[in-house]
Amino acid sequence: MKTLIAVSVITVIALALVSQMHFANAQLGQKVSEKQYINLRAEVWNEFFRMTTAAFTVGAIVSGTMIWLVWRFRESNPKNKTPTKWEKFDDPTSGTYEEGGH
Amino acid sequence: MVLELRKPRPVWQIMFSTHHTDVALLYTITGVAFLFMAGVLALMIRTHLFFPGQGVLIPDPATFNRIFTVHGLTMLFLFALPFAAGIGNYLVPIMVRYKDMAYPKLNAVAFWMNPVGGALLWLGFSDTSWVSYAPYSVIRAPGPAADMMIFGLKILGISSILSSINFVVTILKCKHPDLPLRQVPLFAWSILTVSLMTLVAMPTYAASLIMLLTDRLGVSGFFNPSIGGDPIAYLHLFWFTFHPEVYIFLLPAIGMMYELIPRFSRKPLFSQASGVFAFVMLGLIGFASWGHHMYSTGMDFTTKVVFMIGTLAAVPASGMHVFNFLATMWGGRIRFAAPMKFAVGGIALFFSAGAGGVLNSAMPLDFITHGTYWVVGHMHLFLTGTIAFGFVAMMYYMFPFITGRMYSEKLANIHFIGMMWGTVQVFFTQHLLGLEGMARRIYDYPAEYTSWVQLNQIATVGAWILGGSFVFFLANLIYSAAKGKEANMDDPFGLGGKYYYPYQAKNPTHHTGY
Repeated sequence: MKTLIAVSVITVIALALVSQMHFANAQLGQKVSEKQYINLRAEVWNEFFRMTTAAFTVGAIVSGTMIWLVWRFRESNPKNKTPTKWEKFDDPTSGTYEEGGH
Repeated sequence: MVLELRKPRPVWQIMFSTHHTDVALLYTITGVAFLFMAGVLALMIRTHLFFPGQGVLIPDPATFNRIFTVHGLTMLFLFALPFAAGIGNYLVPIMVRYKDMAYPKLNAVAFWMNPVGGALLWLGFSDTSWVSYAPYSVIRAPGPAADMMIFGLKILGISSILSSINFVVTILKCKHPDLPLRQVPLFAWSILTVSLMTLVAMPTYAASLIMLLTDRLGVSGFFNPSIGGDPIAYLHLFWFTFHPEVYIFLLPAIGMMYELIPRFSRKPLFSQASGVFAFVMLGLIGFASWGHHMYSTGMDFTTKVVFMIGTLAAVPASGMHVFNFLATMWGGRIRFAAPMKFAVGGIALFFSAGAGGVLNSAMPLDFITHGTYWVVGHMHLFLTGTIAFGFVAMMYYMFPFITGRMYSEKLANIHFIGMMWGTVQVFFTQHLLGLEGMARRIYDYPAEYTSWVQLNQIATVGAWILGGSFVFFLANLIYSAAKGKEANMDDPFGLGGKYYYPYQAKNPTHHTGY
């Protein structure tokens, strides 16, 4: 679990860095003429739409998962009538997965 | 913790008590009172902007400036911070298994600084905006108002530092020896993280306030460009404190969700370790991103890239919290009582606010959105969508334990629908207004700009819905505290199992024999 978390964190940071550094480096060392200024604005808006697309895609996945979770695991769902295995304990919220539950 | 139902006490006994549950009650009530006061100011601003060019409700730009300044200061310093301290006071000593806070008298002193600071802010009614940027706040901001604001903030800052010291000592030194720090519940971890952040961040702001005051008195010129000072230096000092402060506002709300989501999912938290890790990460990263508020001040390219990376580094840690919540809900048998509804709503909006923040932190995009309503929408989506949702969720959760009575679930449902709808309508629309180019903090705008008019009117209707939902909240709190059904104190939400933390938060001085 810890390895998975560490790898995920490093991957996300690396992906964020690569795209941002690429965009930043593309602008270095260029003389800014009036025409280029207009192009830069286009680049910025392109960047905006690219990032918005990424944000909406990830957002749709996370929100979709959350909506499904809420629908599937609500106590009124017919599939969810049986108490969970933790409910037989004094306090269902105590204990952790790391320690194997109760 | 059941205060008055079984064995009423005179109010002064609560006011002068140093017991952690009494101080918690004072913090909580004060916080909620200031929330409503600042909310009224917000509705005035939004109603004014519904009618361009007509000066409705707010007659002149100076008054408008004063209103949004006091609205911001009140929400941040007199609602968000005290409310988190209140819930911390209720739960932290119990979570670390100690009889009270480490320094009970200091705790009460820290609380009583809040009404004093609040009075200075409200009686002065300054117009500098909550950021008090130099050089305006040094050269032009009118007399006693700005000085009263500086003294008020100074007092509130000292209060924060005192309560942070108290929380740190309580958690680290008074914790039961059998309880390893890593197993301390995550709400207490969130309070520990923000207390340590406050101790690092707040002195910088305290120093900058003194510099601001001496500049105003004319005995120094740190931020006064006419005598060689640098206004940008104030921005650095300010944001070095207040970007971490964003996390200081946010993390207690996340900690509250960690208390609620396993409880209402009827299962253990998915991962205590990743929650602790994410809190510590956010605590550190909070100090690596203050420059992203200042991309447009002429910072060099490398510095901007460093701050951009520092800001984006908050994404994985925030994601860990969200995935921890989702994984905890997975496989549970979830009861959607009011606290759980607000907690889940808060997670959804936290994600939306975070996505907007990623776009903000990207340096080229920041130049489009800087100083526009996009930023207003983004910060409010965090403050209302996540922080206020978490706080309201906790308020409903604690309500039966505080009053001994149950709130009305029907009124709470109306509140939830109105708050969710209103929040999305106001603050998503403000993002669009920003992209349309409307600058923040403007008194009026031309009625010919039809897109601005339409978006402002949509946002204002959303604000009315949001404000209206809080009327139901207030009515619910007052009516249910006085006449609500008596709560089953062993299991007020009908979840089964024991509620160790809130249940044990009973005040032994007046609760014996219950």
